[in-house]
Amino acid sequence: MTATATKGALSPTPPGAEVLRAEGLSKRFGGLKAVQDVSFTHHQGEILAVIGPNGAGKTTLLNLLSGVYSPSAGRLHLMGRDVTDQPMEARCHAGLGRAFQIVRPFPEMTVHENVTVGALFGKPGQRLPEARERAWALLERTGLAAHADKAAHELTLLQDKRLEVARALATNPSVLLLDEVMAGLRPGEAQEAVALVRGVRESGVSVLFIEHIMPVVRDLADRVVVMDQGQVLAQGTYREVTADPRVVSAYLGTEEGLQA
Amino acid sequence: MSARNVEGGTPVRTAPRREITPGAALPLLGFLLLAALFPFLPLGSRAEFLLQIAFFTLVAGIMALSWDILARSGQVSLAHAAFYGLGAYGYALLLKAGLPWLLAMPVAALLAGGVSLILGAVTMRLSGMYFAIATLAFTEVVRTIIQNLPESVAGGATGLLVPALLGGNSRAQYFLAWGLLAFTVLVSLAVRLTRLHFAFAAIRQGEETARVLGVSIVRFKLLAFFISSSLAALAGVLYAGKTFFINPLETFSLANSIAPLTTSIFGGLYTTLGPVLGAGVLRVAEELLHNSVKNGYLVVYGLVLMLSILWLPRGLMGLRRGRKHGGDL
Repeated sequence: MTATATKGALSPTPPGAEVLRAEGLSKRFGGLKAVQDVSFTHHQGEILAVIGPNGAGKTTLLNLLSGVYSPSAGRLHLMGRDVTDQPMEARCHAGLGRAFQIVRPFPEMTVHENVTVGALFGKPGQRLPEARERAWALLERTGLAAHADKAAHELTLLQDKRLEVARALATNPSVLLLDEVMAGLRPGEAQEAVALVRGVRESGVSVLFIEHIMPVVRDLADRVVVMDQGQVLAQGTYREVTADPRVVSAYLGTEEGLQA
Repeated sequence: MSARNVEGGTPVRTAPRREITPGAALPLLGFLLLAALFPFLPLGSRAEFLLQIAFFTLVAGIMALSWDILARSGQVSLAHAAFYGLGAYGYALLLKAGLPWLLAMPVAALLAGGVSLILGAVTMRLSGMYFAIATLAFTEVVRTIIQNLPESVAGGATGLLVPALLGGNSRAQYFLAWGLLAFTVLVSLAVRLTRLHFAFAAIRQGEETARVLGVSIVRFKLLAFFISSSLAALAGVLYAGKTFFINPLETFSLANSIAPLTTSIFGGLYTTLGPVLGAGVLRVAEELLHNSVKNGYLVVYGLVLMLSILWLPRGLMGLRRGRKHGGDL
């Protein structure tokens, strides 16, 4: 592991203001404890990765954060406000954006119209002409401007993922949740996606992402939350958590598992 | 397709090909203009009869277009007969209470719109088949209530007499119906050209995604219900004032819920021109068949409808060359 090559792991960002704080979040499905007592704090301008083996509860956690599920226990604070009981649309208005792992474009809309929806409703009181303009600006920023009039199904997978991110950014979020954006991308495309996520952070948006591909986590994350069997196993920089024996044993029990 | 790699290159800002141009409204204006001229044609001895058919064609247009507005928000309703009936009965009862007709008409429409909010709130979390069944049940509930009100109030199963609209002047009635269709068209265009279009379309095409993007589905679904049901109630007012006798069985008939649905599908869903055009074509076809095939006309009518839905998945609007979807009014 050549930690010197990785900016994020070596220079943990000085903690800014807190944007997202989970306190003892839990979710049970009948007898299954999918997420148990998860607490973490996400700071302004930070890229936070959530990793863990399959079935560790990462996607359930993301659904708790975005409001798809309501928690069985625990509280969630967004930009200093308790949003535990708020529905998805209210969390969006409060500053939470989300891009889905399986892209979900609106099928009968063009790329530009898709992004316009986010720009128009992401915050209350937006007007249509301004929303259209902001959608254009985001398409240019995410390299989709030339595809603005295409239907979403005419895009490549990478372009579809860009669309997911552009649409989420159009809501003008303070925190962006990314669910395995790299999934299904070729290595070259993954590099572009990494650059895209960096660009998001540089624009002042904090990023929380779920990822399987460890080199991507190493390159991107300022801090890592490791989950296993619904619980937080460890938190810290990439170097800290990958040096943690509990984390190592959770991943196949060998250090090779982490470098795969 | 020359979609070269543009990432990193100069962003090209092409004119959005699916943006709506003023020209898109021309067929709609043409259709309305033709409809306005209809009473001035030399209709001969059958003028009265032809004007009545034309009147109910306009009513069918209002029903179809108002149903389509609700459908745009992903709510495929079978409750349109309920709001048609609430309009008809509301109007009749308000007249009985002494309101002038010009006031009774909008008040009946707003009342029906208010009732629709109850249905909308109850069906908020339902989708697809469950939503359709709930709206169907709602229609039965409303019909049963009206039918079982004291006979002195709403006429029971027998029905109610309604004073003829505009003194029974067919021409004047026709122009009133035309005016209300034109109003419905304006409302539909307003929905299409404002943020409502994006809210409705997003909810229809992915409700959860829409919510994640901040679309307040409760507000927009109820708004769709209110607009759609108020307009359907206006159609019911026209019906009541034209036939001057209404009863629960016919007014709340399932046919009044099915017709707007088939008309919109036949004409072209989620457009303004489609449902209006569909109403024109289907009503005229119905009358022609009625005259030529006599008893079997419903069978032939059903077949025509089935085949056209099979071969024209986007309805009449799909016949226009080079248009997939969007950009149409």
